[in-house]
Parts: sequence; structure tokens; C-alpha cells
Amino acid sequence: MTASTANILAPLCLAVPLLAAALLAPFTKHMPRWLSSTIAAAASLAVFAMATVLVFYTSAHGPVVHWMGGWTPRHDLAIGISLSVDPMGAGLAAFIALLVFGATVYTWMKFDLVGTLFHSLLMAFLAAMCGYALTGDLFNMFVWFELMSAAAIALTAHKIEEAEAIEGAVNLAVTNTIAGFVVLLGIGFIYARTDALNLAQIGVVLAQRPADALVLASFALIVCGYFVKGAVAPFHFWLDDAHAVAPTPICILFSGIMVQVALYGVARIYWTVFSGALPPQSHEIKALFLGVGIATALIGAIMAYAQRHLKRLLAFSTVSHSGMFVAAMGLFDASAAAAAALFILAHGLIKSALFVCAGNYLNRFRSLDENVLGGKGMQAPLNSALFLIGGLALAGMPPFAISAAKVLYDAAMKDHALFAVAGFMAFASALDAGAVLRAGIHVTWGIGKGQITGYSPREEEPECDGERLERTPWTMLAVPLVLLGIAIWVGMSGALWHGIERAAHAFVDRQYYVGAVLHNAARALPQAPWEPRTAQDIGINLGVTVAAIVFAFMGLFRDHIPQMLSPILGPPLKQLRGLHSGIYTDYVAYMVFGIAAYSVYLVVAAR
Amino acid sequence: MSPWSQWTLFFPYAVAFWLFVIGCFGITQSRNLIHTVLCLAVVQSSTYMLLLSIDFHAQAGAPIFGSTNPPGSPSVDPILHALTLTDIVVGATVTALLLALTIQIHRRRGTIDPQRLRPMSE
Repeated sequence: MTASTANILAPLCLAVPLLAAALLAPFTKHMPRWLSSTIAAAASLAVFAMATVLVFYTSAHGPVVHWMGGWTPRHDLAIGISLSVDPMGAGLAAFIALLVFGATVYTWMKFDLVGTLFHSLLMAFLAAMCGYALTGDLFNMFVWFELMSAAAIALTAHKIEEAEAIEGAVNLAVTNTIAGFVVLLGIGFIYARTDALNLAQIGVVLAQRPADALVLASFALIVCGYFVKGAVAPFHFWLDDAHAVAPTPICILFSGIMVQVALYGVARIYWTVFSGALPPQSHEIKALFLGVGIATALIGAIMAYAQRHLKRLLAFSTVSHSGMFVAAMGLFDASAAAAAALFILAHGLIKSALFVCAGNYLNRFRSLDENVLGGKGMQAPLNSALFLIGGLALAGMPPFAISAAKVLYDAAMKDHALFAVAGFMAFASALDAGAVLRAGIHVTWGIGKGQITGYSPREEEPECDGERLERTPWTMLAVPLVLLGIAIWVGMSGALWHGIERAAHAFVDRQYYVGAVLHNAARALPQAPWEPRTAQDIGINLGVTVAAIVFAFMGLFRDHIPQMLSPILGPPLKQLRGLHSGIYTDYVAYMVFGIAAYSVYLVVAAR
Repeated sequence: MSPWSQWTLFFPYAVAFWLFVIGCFGITQSRNLIHTVLCLAVVQSSTYMLLLSIDFHAQAGAPIFGSTNPPGSPSVDPILHALTLTDIVVGATVTALLLALTIQIHRRRGTIDPQRLRPMSE
């Protein structure tokens, strides 16, 4: 393939879904469901194919940089707006498109579109996430981020007749809109200093001297803004409210990739913009990322364990995993970035499969409440089996992808001698997989008489045509089956891990990026060291899986466990639950506190 | 530069900070969703204020060149104005969405007081 063909593929990844959205918008009300699903599926498959081609092309020939309207850099100075596509960005876009394809397949049969612009919004959402992944411009990242939020708000409120759905959407809207403004303030500061908006260009200017208060403040604002969407404590509160009420295909995209896309944004901006002025060796920012990572992982896992609403449980498990990703990012080196990337891929596949299974329960039994569903799972044996396998895969059972990701993850922690962090993360991971398994066992066999606490409406509107489904259509079962199949392939494919490792080495290399963007000097991916995993690493994963099963049975047979611990654990849990009040006024207060804390820490401590 | 003009240069940033903080405070105290939407607009005004004050010069005009200010004469940075304009569009979208959701909440719950919605209560 020639360079000019590759160059045109990058903008096509955005143009195709946007055109599909525009095409669907006026006609969707008059289209049968299968036709609008097919158009959306075709568009997302096209994006997947183009992004995959870009992954291979950029691996072999170096980053593809497309300057909009032909405004190429003059005298090595960026004056236009670029799409700067490296293997990591292209790989992310491919994964986004794959999950959107899965979501459209889910809507193929029986899914109730209630005559809305569902597929049109879905395409806008796809374009926004791909744009965010591929752009090389700081301000365009903000614009794509806002488009993502707008589409996400509308999609969360899809079941417009349900008050809970609208409240979830309002919580998402208020918090994420403020997040967007916080990011914009950060961009304003950085533009005031550098007169540039291109990521590579800003990085070149900032690298000329060490970070001062202005640069640190802008870093803090951008990180806080994107951490809101990335669901990092204390900004994660909107997430479970939105995920619990969003339609299932949207849950796939929220939990599977949107949250992680925001974290990718932080990593991308750090490495291209700030790594010159704020070197990755500085302990203060490492401490911040590791600290909030551990806190988020533990809060998410504990809250997941204390839920009985299946989607809310899975949502808190996503919060917990966000913490694990942030901790890996916080090591600020190539191997940790590779571990985070593989972990995000693995988690996205498995969590999406779990959400689809939860959605199938809702359509069959009109409820997502574990206590109501208890024992009914046997009426939907394949779905229950997939849910349980998903739970084991989430714990890190080989051969699923999370097992492979955790090997890289633990190796990265070991390199930094952070055994305690690795231990916390193993605990969090066992606890939230334990929560999923507990729910799965309870729903399937009805074991465990103790009523699980937590909030859940006993009955909810299903997402299908009519009152409820007698049988789950094959498409709704094929999606989790195929996703788990891909997760096995990812878990076995040494070539893929090695590819991600090499892409990560390029991702953290600012000079590599600057050369491609500003000096038209794109190079093929550098070679990276590679060690195959050992039996001992797999042993750790099996240990975590067993711990998850133990946690699951502890939850099921709580009544038989001596109540010694309840006076110690009860009050803090009640406090933690109280914080997640479901009211956005509280969430905004925590957000402002968080922004102030992050900013003061970074400006004072990291200086 | 006199101390007074130093102060006037700093002033817009102080206003931007104040707008952000008071807007967020308004949201935390909000008892009405429409009030929240307006508070969001106040928070957003802080971004306009910051962006427009970054390249403000008393002597520089708008970046539109003609006979009175030929090309090359002092003007403010047009990129910041483009950013502000985009920001306004974004704000309008979210405001419209939120107001639509407010109407729907009022239909379903009969109130638009967030404290009385309490979605997590049993």
C-alpha cells in the first residue's frame, strides 16, 4: 500500500461513521430495524477494517500523519490540524469499532429502538471515540471528547420513559460537562504558554525548560477533566448511575471502551506534551497516579461486592479496573504502558460479554436484581454459563486475555519493586470478580439464602419488543460468545502481545512522535525486548481465580460466617455507600474537592 | 508598566476563577434542575473569560484587516476566538440536552428538585 492511501484512511475512519450518522438520522424512523442495524454494522466494520490496516501499515512504516486541508508544517512548525496515527491509536480505534459492531449486532433482532435516532447517535459516538484516539491536536481532543459526552448523554437516556434512565443521564451530563470545561481551562493555560495546539508542537516548546506552576496547573486540570470520564476516584460517582440505566449495547461501549479511551487520552497527552517538562522519573506524579489508582481499585471492588443490581455491580467492577489501569500508567514506562494496553483490551472484551449476559437476563426476566433473579438462571442455561465463564475470565483465569495482561502487569510492578501495589490490585481483582461470580452462582442455582443488600428496583422495563422475551435471540447470545472467543485468542497470541509491547515503546517515545509529526521523518516501530511468561506467573493468576471463588462463596453463605467482622466492616461500608448518593449536587462537590486536591498536590509537591 | 495596569492584566483571570468556583458552588446547592443548567453556563463563562483574556491587548484590534488596520498591524490572536466559538457551540448542545431531560423528569416525577429525586433510595 502506498503512503497516500494510508494517509487517506485516517480521515475516512471519522468520515464513514459521521456520514452513516447523517444518512441514518432523517430516515431511521421509516426504516425497519434490520436495515438501520445493517447500515450501522457495515459502517463500524468498515472502520474496523481501515483501522486494522492502519495498525499494520504504521507498524511497518511509522506513524501516518494527515494534515487537514493540506496545511503541512512550515519550517518544522505546525500550523494546521493533524490526525497523528500511531499503532497504539490505530489499534484503539480498531477495538472501538469492533465493540460498536458488537453493539449493533445486539440490536439486530428484537431490540426495542422505540423509534429513536439510536443508530445515528451510535455512529456519532463511534466517530467521536475514533477521533479522540487518532487526533494529534489538543483542542480537537476536547471537541471529540464533548461530542462523545453529548452522544453518551442522549444514549443513556434512550429509555426516555424511565425516570431512572433520565436521572442517570443528568448525572453523566452535569459531571462530564464540567469535566470538559476543566480540560478547556487546562488547554487555555497551555496555549497561553506555548502558542500551540498540536500535541507534538506543544511538547517541543514545553521541553525547553522544567515545568513551572502554570504547566503543572494545566497538567492537573487536563488530568482531572479526563479522569472524570475515566472514572478515577473521586470523580467516578456518575459512572454507576449511568451504567445501571443505559441500554445494554451502550453499556458495552461505556464500560468496554469509553472510560478507557479517556485514560488513553491522559497517557497520550502526558507522553507527547508533558514528558519533556515533567520527566517520567519524577516520584511525585508517580505517587499521585499509584495512590489514586489503588484507592479507585479498592473503592470499586468493595462497592461492586456490595451491589445486587447486576449492571451496577459490573459498573463498579469497571471503576475498580480503571484504578488498575491508572496505576499501570503511573509507572510511566513502556512495559507498564504495554501492560495497561493489553489489560484494557482484555477487560473490554470480557466486561462487554458480561454486560450482554446481564442484558439478556433483563429481557427474559424483567429484572436485574440478584435477589429476584436468584434461581431463574437455569431457564437460560447458555446465558448463565457465559456469565459464569465471564466472571472467571475477569478474575484472570487462563487462557483468557486478562490472565495474559496480568502477567505483564505484575512484571511491570515487579520491575519497580512495587509488590504491595501488585498485592492490592490482586485483592481488588479477586474481590470484584468474586462479586460477579457470586451474582452468577446466585442467579444460576439460587444458592445462598442471605438477601444481598444494595439498591435495585425489583422490576425494570426490558429492552426488547413486547413485555419480555420467551427465548433470547441467537444474536444476543452470539455477541458474548464471540467476545469471549476473541478474549481466548488474545490470551494465547504471543505475537499480539509482542506487537503491543513494541507499540508501547513507540508510544512513550516523544522524539519518535515529534519526528513523524513535525519533521516528516516517520520510522518503523523499534524492536522491543520480549520475555515469554513463566509458569509461576500463571500460578499467581490461578491463585487470584481461586480467591475470587472463595469471595463468591463467602458472599453466598454470609449467614454461616461468624459475624465478628460486621461491626468493623459495617460502618465504613455504610459511609462509602452513603457517598454514592445518586445526586449530582454531591458529585460536583466531590469533583471540586478532587480538582483542588490534585492541583494543589501537583503544583506544590511536584514542583 | 504601572502597578495598576499589572492589576488590570491579572483581573480577568481572577474573574475566570471566581466564575468557575461560584458556578460549581451553585450546582452543589441547587434545588432546581433549570438552576443547575444556568449554573453550568456560569461555569462555562469562566472558560470564555480565560480564553479571551489570554491574548488581550488594549491597543490590538479584532483580527480583521482592512484600510484602517492593514495586515501586519497589531491584532489579537484569532485562534482563541475560534476556540471560544467552538466552546459556545458545545455549551449550547449540552444545555439543550439537559433542558430536554429536565422536561422529561418533570413529566415522570412531578418535581425537578434533585434532592427530592433520590434515585438510590429503596
